[in-house]
Amino acid sequence: MTMLTLAKPRTRPLIGWRVRKLLIGYSYLVPAALCMLATVVVPIMLAIKMSLYADILYKPQDYRFIGLGNYVRLVEDPVFWLTLRNSVVWVFGSVSLQFVFGFAGALLLQQAFTGRALVRTLTLLPWIIPGVVVGLIWEWLYQPNYGVINDILIRVGLMQERVAWLSSPDLAMAAVVFTNVWRGIPFFVIMLLAGLQAVPDELYEAAHVDGAGVFARFWHITLPLLRPIIVVATATRIIWTFNYADLIFVMTGGGPANATQITSTYTLLQAYSSLDFGYAGALSVVLLLVMLAFTWLYLRTTKGLEDTE
Amino acid sequence: MTRRAAPKDLAERLLSGPMVWIGLALLTAFALGPFIWMFLTSLKDRQELYATPLQYLPVHPTFENYIDAWTSPVTPFSRFFLNSLWVCSVTMVATTMVSVLAGYAIARFRFAGRDALLLIFLATQMFPSVLLIAPLLTQWRALGLIDTYQALIYSNFSFTVPFTVWMMVGYFSSIPRDLEESAMIDGCNHFGALCRIVLPLAAPGIAATAIFAFVVSWSELLFAISFTTETSMRTLSAGLLYMVGQYEVQWGQLSAGVILSTVPVAVLFSFLQRHLIHGLTAGAVKG
Repeated sequence: MTMLTLAKPRTRPLIGWRVRKLLIGYSYLVPAALCMLATVVVPIMLAIKMSLYADILYKPQDYRFIGLGNYVRLVEDPVFWLTLRNSVVWVFGSVSLQFVFGFAGALLLQQAFTGRALVRTLTLLPWIIPGVVVGLIWEWLYQPNYGVINDILIRVGLMQERVAWLSSPDLAMAAVVFTNVWRGIPFFVIMLLAGLQAVPDELYEAAHVDGAGVFARFWHITLPLLRPIIVVATATRIIWTFNYADLIFVMTGGGPANATQITSTYTLLQAYSSLDFGYAGALSVVLLLVMLAFTWLYLRTTKGLEDTE
Repeated sequence: MTRRAAPKDLAERLLSGPMVWIGLALLTAFALGPFIWMFLTSLKDRQELYATPLQYLPVHPTFENYIDAWTSPVTPFSRFFLNSLWVCSVTMVATTMVSVLAGYAIARFRFAGRDALLLIFLATQMFPSVLLIAPLLTQWRALGLIDTYQALIYSNFSFTVPFTVWMMVGYFSSIPRDLEESAMIDGCNHFGALCRIVLPLAAPGIAATAIFAFVVSWSELLFAISFTTETSMRTLSAGLLYMVGQYEVQWGQLSAGVILSTVPVAVLFSFLQRHLIHGLTAGAVKG
């Protein structure tokens, strides 16, 4: 390029600086684009293609194009519909309780007291440790014979007999949801605490002077000002919880008798245990569509919030 | 302030006094209780572990579970630990390099498709990794990468890159352009300006983001169990799960393993809590 510009010194350079700047910009994006292409974009295309084939890893002789066959199977599969219902319970139970306790935690940690930084760090712990660790800790706590939860509940007289929390169809879902609540509270504490700290003190003082009680101030000042962050935190949490498979996979594997099987663990089991990639592909497409719908809804809601500000 | 504040009502006095302390105590106990129980378990020998009635405190605390877990030939925890360390470190370094470049480009260059690209990076953060298991497994098998570190490291990019790029854009946008422009007038090219001016200024943020990439890779489970079959290739998360699958569950060793896998992330996290929280909430809080 240098040679070209030397040869024709008076004409414009072959590539103008504006274009060159753009090219540099694009070249910086190449590595990230390649990463996303290889680990997200191509795999999604592959999943869509898989969903149109009979593709079971240990039956290579049966591999063939079957059109929407896997989707027909999906619609006729009662377990799939059960997993959707279970997902609703799992998401709604987890997120609503995480929100309530997280909000309470944020209000508590907003108070000034000595050792606040330490308490804040400690209460965040459940959120940062690996999901498999969370699952194993709670499996041990729920253990029927040697678990501390049964022991405490019997000692204080709330229960007469030991309960097999994770292997009883009636209790298993509640048990995994409770574990997920334990794990997710810190997320809401962080988000809502950040929101609380952005509320100017003058507003509270003014309302106080005007005689507004503590509940009135919460209702008329804190809640409205926190609305944007509540929407963002709740929406991201809903999407994330819907997709989250680790905890249930570790604790119950979707059992007993699919009592805790949610759509994401079902997808995982089809790919990981049954090695039925065609069916797993179809389930993946369903997960993808649900996620896109949620994301679209989320972007629309947050955009609406920006417009009203 | 000439006006005096209204007197506190009863609800307020209760809420600001004893209620706060009770609440804080409950919150801390709830968050830490399970960890403390796991730690106590890890110090008990077999007899104390399975005593009826339940024995809460270890009478003869022992570190045997830790030694057993670390040196066990069936479930070699030391090997799992090193695997995780390697996979997460490489993921961290590679992710950071990739996302520094991309974040800088998005923050500084105006080009067609910039907003769309940002949206893609935001949306992929929400991406379910379950969805990627079947296709990635097929892909890695075709490339002969099953039971290699590469398969795990590449797969980790699917969730680390979108997040770190997003955070980098934020850090770079907050650095004034004038500094780079004057450096470029003095003869630096873009890349030189990035290395000499922008990177040093953004260093704390970049470090926090890098460690975040490490921490989330440390938690990764599904890729690790799907793309490895040999015990010697398992990461910590996969190894812990593998310990459960062996014969009867060795809760003593397992609890030691749980504590050992928790400590590194807990330490890292406490160092950069402030940065991460800022990064996480930056997009959500305005003003």
